[in-house]
Amino acid sequence: MMNLRMIATKGTLFAGALFLASTALTGLVDAKSLTVGLTSDAVNLDPQAGEELSSNILFYHIYDPLVRRNADLSFGPGLAESWELADDTTWVFKLRKGVKFHNGEEFKASDVVFTLDRLKKSLMANLGANISSFKAIDDYTVEIKTPRPYAVLPNDLAAVLILNEKYVKEAGDETADLKPIGTGPYKLVEWVKEDHIALESNKDYYAGPAKLDTVTFRPITNGATRTAALLTGEVDVVQDLNVRDVDRVKADGRYKVLAQPSLLNVVLSIDQREKSPTVDLDKNPMVDHRVREAMVRAIDVGAINKVIMNGLSTPSEQYVPASHTGYLDGASFRDMYPFDVEKATALMAEAGYADGFTVTLDATNNRYVNDQQIVQALASMLGKIKINLKLNLMPKSNFFGYIRVPSDKSSLIMSGWDVPSGDGGSMYSVMFYTRDKKEGYGQVNRGSYSNPEVDALIDKADATAKLDQRDKFLQDVTKILMADIPMIPIHYEQDLYAAKTSVDITPRADKFLWAYDIDVKE
Amino acid sequence: MLGYTIKRLLQMVLVLSVVSVIVFLMMSFTGDPVFMVIPIDSTAAEIEQARRLLGLDQSLFSQYWIFLSNLLQGDFGRSYVFRQPAIDLILERLPATMEMVLVAMGIATIIAIPLGVYAGANPNRAASRGIMAASLFGISLPGFWVGMMLIFFFSVRYQFLPSSGRGETIEVLGLRLSIFTADGWSHMILPAVTLALATLAIILRITRAGMMEVMRQDYIKFARAKGASRRHILFAHGLKNALIPVITIFGLQLGDLIAFATITETIFAWPGTGKLLIDSIYRGDRPVIVVYLMLTAFIFVAINFLVDIAYTLIDPRITVK
Repeated sequence: MMNLRMIATKGTLFAGALFLASTALTGLVDAKSLTVGLTSDAVNLDPQAGEELSSNILFYHIYDPLVRRNADLSFGPGLAESWELADDTTWVFKLRKGVKFHNGEEFKASDVVFTLDRLKKSLMANLGANISSFKAIDDYTVEIKTPRPYAVLPNDLAAVLILNEKYVKEAGDETADLKPIGTGPYKLVEWVKEDHIALESNKDYYAGPAKLDTVTFRPITNGATRTAALLTGEVDVVQDLNVRDVDRVKADGRYKVLAQPSLLNVVLSIDQREKSPTVDLDKNPMVDHRVREAMVRAIDVGAINKVIMNGLSTPSEQYVPASHTGYLDGASFRDMYPFDVEKATALMAEAGYADGFTVTLDATNNRYVNDQQIVQALASMLGKIKINLKLNLMPKSNFFGYIRVPSDKSSLIMSGWDVPSGDGGSMYSVMFYTRDKKEGYGQVNRGSYSNPEVDALIDKADATAKLDQRDKFLQDVTKILMADIPMIPIHYEQDLYAAKTSVDITPRADKFLWAYDIDVKE
Repeated sequence: MLGYTIKRLLQMVLVLSVVSVIVFLMMSFTGDPVFMVIPIDSTAAEIEQARRLLGLDQSLFSQYWIFLSNLLQGDFGRSYVFRQPAIDLILERLPATMEMVLVAMGIATIIAIPLGVYAGANPNRAASRGIMAASLFGISLPGFWVGMMLIFFFSVRYQFLPSSGRGETIEVLGLRLSIFTADGWSHMILPAVTLALATLAIILRITRAGMMEVMRQDYIKFARAKGASRRHILFAHGLKNALIPVITIFGLQLGDLIAFATITETIFAWPGTGKLLIDSIYRGDRPVIVVYLMLTAFIFVAINFLVDIAYTLIDPRITVK
């Protein structure tokens, strides 16, 4: 007995010692790390070299913008502490002092000027389209002028990431593309193409160091492999969880699934010209409002949501989401034109098209979630009111060149549109403003929609520097558009994520996974 | 031999220039790459600026001419998307692909040849029939399905091997390789086996067919009558003479796997060249596609050359001229 007890005591002591040793060890390696499975590798770590989601996600870890876009699409200070309108077209940005780039250089107004200057000459010149001139007043003040009053300049600047002038000039573009230097919360440690990108926390980050010490992004293109990597513990979070894996992951208590309605509105543009290239009649019947209304009523968005999207979509009420300028409270396409095939058939007959017509719909087969199935459903739904849809499907690499304005080959186009800046006006001005009337307006007006009233309201919205006034004008545009139906909104996709339950993560509205907001519980 | 080599080199140059012309022409029919790299609501002026930056404002003929003259100076062009030299992007990823392909070819050969010899020498045994039936699976099962099944069983179900990535690598002679680490091997096995299956089945069947034909020949009977050991008859007399078609197929398969291991690489998130090709096609990244396909053509021509040399070593009756 005695012996046994002694052994037991010794055992306890030993176990206790082991326990102490292990806590001491965990105390030493307290570093928190996270591995994220992304759908693709970043192509480039220069924020002015192109636009792609994975690259964008990485940019915001390494660089900072002047104005920060928050997870809910509100805007707040970034590298600029505050900003104000000096006059209708002049903005003054006060910069944060004492911010350091990863190479130790201090952040100054000259870096902002350098960044904007380089931006204007880059592939991303579009981001600076509403900036006419800019200059440094002193080391911590920048003045930016817009060609016209432009209330949403700060929104636009959230997409402009600040580079270090000295570094980019000395290292050259090619090196800067691969070994970025920014002021962001994370520094690049290693980038092995297509394998992983390792980041470590920038302890000197102006808003305080991130909770996670290291973050590794791994590109895993195949959706099933991404799920497998999560289930085997190789990654902690995955982006774009496969729809068919949702139940499987949810059923396992070690993981959670997170869904966030995306900003991407899948829409159907309708040609508004008197003669349309693919319609089999002499006159374009879709010019008639009754025909467009019949089309909306014949499309059962609820069925698309249930049958094709597995419930993982949000039928869109308007052209822009509720968080955006121009959104009209309470107005909904679904209430204005509820699904009603009988009414739709009657409207077609009233318009004189009881026998229907044939028209081609251009769409992608690899860009939007289930795009091919959606257009097939549209064909069968519109077929019921005798609009015979011919489907012209193509991969996205051909599509965006094919539908570009003014190529004029299309009568109906299904595409998606998102406005991460939160400003509905930027969409309205390029999509609904009369074509070829004003530089920078109407360049993606794929249905050749033209309404002088809409043009005038957009002009007014773009002439005021006051955000609430702009919002008011744009809401009036929304009202007219919803009555006119130049385009049928279908749904917003949903962004899906899965994570270990220990990961404290909230998806952002703009799909940018930002590790600075993420924590890991013990 | 020297004359033959020179002749082959000239052939190679011819093949490569034809490939480059065809690829360049094909490119002009696919989408406009500008729209893949710039924001969709860019104005006409911004699109023009992007076109100028990418060199797409020139006519197709002058684009080709610029490409050719740069090529002669060793410049293979720059990726629109990555903005890096296209050849660097490919060479950077090539070791990962080569490693996986060579391991896969090794697995396939080591298993296929003995089994093929056995099945060819004893075509009527039950075991031979079993081998042949199994090889049918190897040929007909699609690679992506096999890959997913392997991941499901070995990674998710039994948590025995990792599902994706390349694992730990070390630098050997400036190349990042994973075959020298245990972690690297654990990442390598599943993709290599997936890739090996079809090749294994094909080599097995070719070896068997060759062996069956050779075993009927008089010299085999003669060797048997002479009292040579069975092992000697099978491998020295039989296999050696059945090997020519096997080597041909081996070469073709090797080229094929190096150039188009795309599906396996995608499933296992293996950072090789195949994924680069697919991504570049999606993005309309012409410079990368052109250089990639030219490199592929080069690899095929080079492998065929080596295969022809191998013929002469195995069968002295064959000479190269």
